[in-house]
Amino acid sequence: MSVIAAPARGRRVPEGFWWVFPSILVLLALSIYPLLYAVKLSLADRRNFTRLLSDRLFFTAGVQTIVLTLAALAIEFALGLALAVLIDSLARGRTFFRTALLVPMLLPPVVAAVAWRLIYNPQFGVLNGSLRRLGFDTSHLTWTSGEGSALASVILVDVWEWTPFLFLLLSAGLQAIPTEPLEAARVDGAGAWRIFCDVTLPLLKPTIVLALLLRGMDLVRIFDQIFILTQGGPGTATETVSLYIYRTAFRFSNFGYAAAMSFVLLAATLLFSRGLLKAMRAR
Amino acid sequence: MLELSGVTKKFGSRAAVSGVSLAIGDGEFVVLLGPSGCGKTTLMRMIAGLESPDEGSIRLGGEEITGRDPRDRDIAMVFQSYALYPHMTIAQNIGYPLRVRKRAQREIEAEVKHVAARLGLTPLLGNFPRQLSGGERQRVALARAIIRRPKAFLMDEPLSNLDARLRVEMRAELKHLQHELRIVTIYVTHDQAEAMTLAHRIAVMREGKIQQYDTPANVYHKPVNTFVAQFVGSPSMNLIAKGGETLGVRPEDVELSPAARPDFSPARVYVSEEMGNETIVVISDGATQITARAPAGIRLDFDAEVWYRFRTGKIHRFDASGKRLDD
Amino acid sequence: MKIFRYGAAVIAVVIALAPVYWLVTISLKREVDQFAYPPQWIGFTTTLAHYREAFAGGSFAAYFENSVFLAAISTVAALLAGVPAAYGLARFEWPRKWDERIGDWILSTRMLPPIVTIVPLFLMLREARLLNSLSGLAIVYTGFNLPFVVWMMRGFFEEVPREIEEAAMLDGESRMGALLRIVLPLVKPGLAATAVFCLVVAWNEFLFALILTETDAAMTLPVGIASHVTQYEIQWGVMSAAGVVAMIPVLIFAAAAQKYLVRGLSLGAVKG
Repeated sequence: MSVIAAPARGRRVPEGFWWVFPSILVLLALSIYPLLYAVKLSLADRRNFTRLLSDRLFFTAGVQTIVLTLAALAIEFALGLALAVLIDSLARGRTFFRTALLVPMLLPPVVAAVAWRLIYNPQFGVLNGSLRRLGFDTSHLTWTSGEGSALASVILVDVWEWTPFLFLLLSAGLQAIPTEPLEAARVDGAGAWRIFCDVTLPLLKPTIVLALLLRGMDLVRIFDQIFILTQGGPGTATETVSLYIYRTAFRFSNFGYAAAMSFVLLAATLLFSRGLLKAMRAR
Repeated sequence: MLELSGVTKKFGSRAAVSGVSLAIGDGEFVVLLGPSGCGKTTLMRMIAGLESPDEGSIRLGGEEITGRDPRDRDIAMVFQSYALYPHMTIAQNIGYPLRVRKRAQREIEAEVKHVAARLGLTPLLGNFPRQLSGGERQRVALARAIIRRPKAFLMDEPLSNLDARLRVEMRAELKHLQHELRIVTIYVTHDQAEAMTLAHRIAVMREGKIQQYDTPANVYHKPVNTFVAQFVGSPSMNLIAKGGETLGVRPEDVELSPAARPDFSPARVYVSEEMGNETIVVISDGATQITARAPAGIRLDFDAEVWYRFRTGKIHRFDASGKRLDD
Repeated sequence: MKIFRYGAAVIAVVIALAPVYWLVTISLKREVDQFAYPPQWIGFTTTLAHYREAFAGGSFAAYFENSVFLAAISTVAALLAGVPAAYGLARFEWPRKWDERIGDWILSTRMLPPIVTIVPLFLMLREARLLNSLSGLAIVYTGFNLPFVVWMMRGFFEEVPREIEEAAMLDGESRMGALLRIVLPLVKPGLAATAVFCLVVAWNEFLFALILTETDAAMTLPVGIASHVTQYEIQWGVMSAAGVVAMIPVLIFAAAAQKYLVRGLSLGAVKG
């Protein structure tokens, strides 16, 4: 409570409002107004929303988005947790390892995608090149150029790029756990694995939830890397919802339908963001 | 029962604990007393197995436990901040040591109820640590420690997070509990009153070494050096330099008189503190300040004239390095 | 046992850095070596030709300038609007928890998928004739960074004890004065980290730049790189050189803001 007296009860507008006002204006113009505009666009043709239900391409894009999100999230979480525990347990060099492991995440996503495009090239890329050198037959390894393997290859890139994010967050969460309950568990007789399951993980839960929601939210709307790596191809094998919307709007100039689809994506993101806000409140 | 020999622990070039040897008997309550940084907590953590000594050995019940994991030592510990598991209920907290040892669920429930009743925790069993007060949490930590009936208890300043009155109450409870259970207890504190009231024997520590290991009475009446002499007893013992030696007199052994008497020396009152049950008077003879205990009701103004004498036979003598000189 | 753990950590680092390293080598190799078999990790002849081609007189120099300009402008603008807003939310009395609601609303705009607002923004900018202009993009980027600034700075302000400003105001300082002269110096590290985050976000941004700019005059570095990828004959050397240059400021910035990295990435939720 501030010692300096608050404005008298009768005031309609709280004093702090004017400080916030410019920001609210900017956001209204750049976020809310476009949103309403998008509503108008999508409603211009009432068939836009019904089309969604029968659009096989949209359905495929949705499925691929979900598959990508779940797979990437699961792998990134498992690896991130393993790395967090591993690095945390090292006596020396922690800062070095941490810094080095963060690099993939810090790069501009476009640059990361370019690097992997180079690496993935079936004929000349260093991945197949190195495998060949080790004696493997790489004629079937088409990575991003093959319809069957493209999505997995894209997931792999995302895992490479964003596991550090999970690692960083979970690492911070691990460090925030007070040491005394862990020591008490040791004295009480629990072994390392038991302590991890009984004490560490439960105490890590809030951070885990936060990390999964944050990353999940970004995964659902993934665009940059896929655009560079495959442009959604081959065919539509790696076309996620964002890419399909992009294609609809800017290749086929069908803005109304694109707007309608983007609302579905918005709904999905809203689920994540509500969960996130709740989780952040709880801290 | 518990033997430490030559235990040493270094952090970098600094020796936190240096060549400590202690023998603690069955059912004894031993207090490690000393200022912050004296090594008492490090020593305790080595007994628990949370740190390992660089040199020396630790034996419990005749067995060598120096290299063992905490879980294999049959020792229970009460941490300064209680270290309760925040996500488990009180019942689960107390029962955890038994759960880890894979005892049957029904057995665990029975034991938890029994221990909780003994410490007055029964109504709180379904709550979580964050809902409990400091005193209640401390009792839960105790319950978790005693449920196993270990060979030894370790307590790391368990009362220091409680307010003054609760601390005094819990002190008495702890002493009574230990008497009932008769389990070897090692207790770390910097509070000399706790040490004096709780211990069978006190180990006074300073800079990693044990200064004196003896009963409270002996530590109080026959301190082995000036450090121990000043650390134990409140207000502290007066130390006066005299002819190459240091003389020590406890405040209760300084007699005061408002008028001149034979054998008494003159001084002026520096400050007089009325406590209600007694008065603490600090006097100054020009060169040194001396603290004295006087009966309640004496009113002495600032700078008043007063005469003082040290009670015969109650003067301690220490040499120039601080060691006790016996007569 | 310990050696396995260190070994695993080293392997992880190698996996993390190898692709980046490879990119750097491509940017330094002659074209004939870039796709040589077996792949040359070390010991190849280096050449700076690609860097020269990209930046000295190449179009990438323009893209680079554009990116720098955009990052700087949008960060400054976001800070100018966002810092007072954060202060207003953190310090003043708000009836019925409005400060929480406004704070949540501001944060949720950050959570909007870009693709939702991009179509309307594209059309809006087209009408205002701000397509293909850096000013149009600068406005959009400010809109990105603003919620982030508000959210982060609010957390930092809340960590400064109220009493300090109250003492200043009792001494005669005004609110704004207290903010400028007393509080801001205290949150300098947080402010710097927030600024760095904004710079990085603007620097890395791709989707909006892709859609809202088409000409060399307005393209940013990420878009410039991407546009060279989708052409038929990809000049990998030039592209990877551009990629490396795009990478370096970010790495420097990240190193500078390291202390607050976790906080920024988790939108202030985890005070790593």
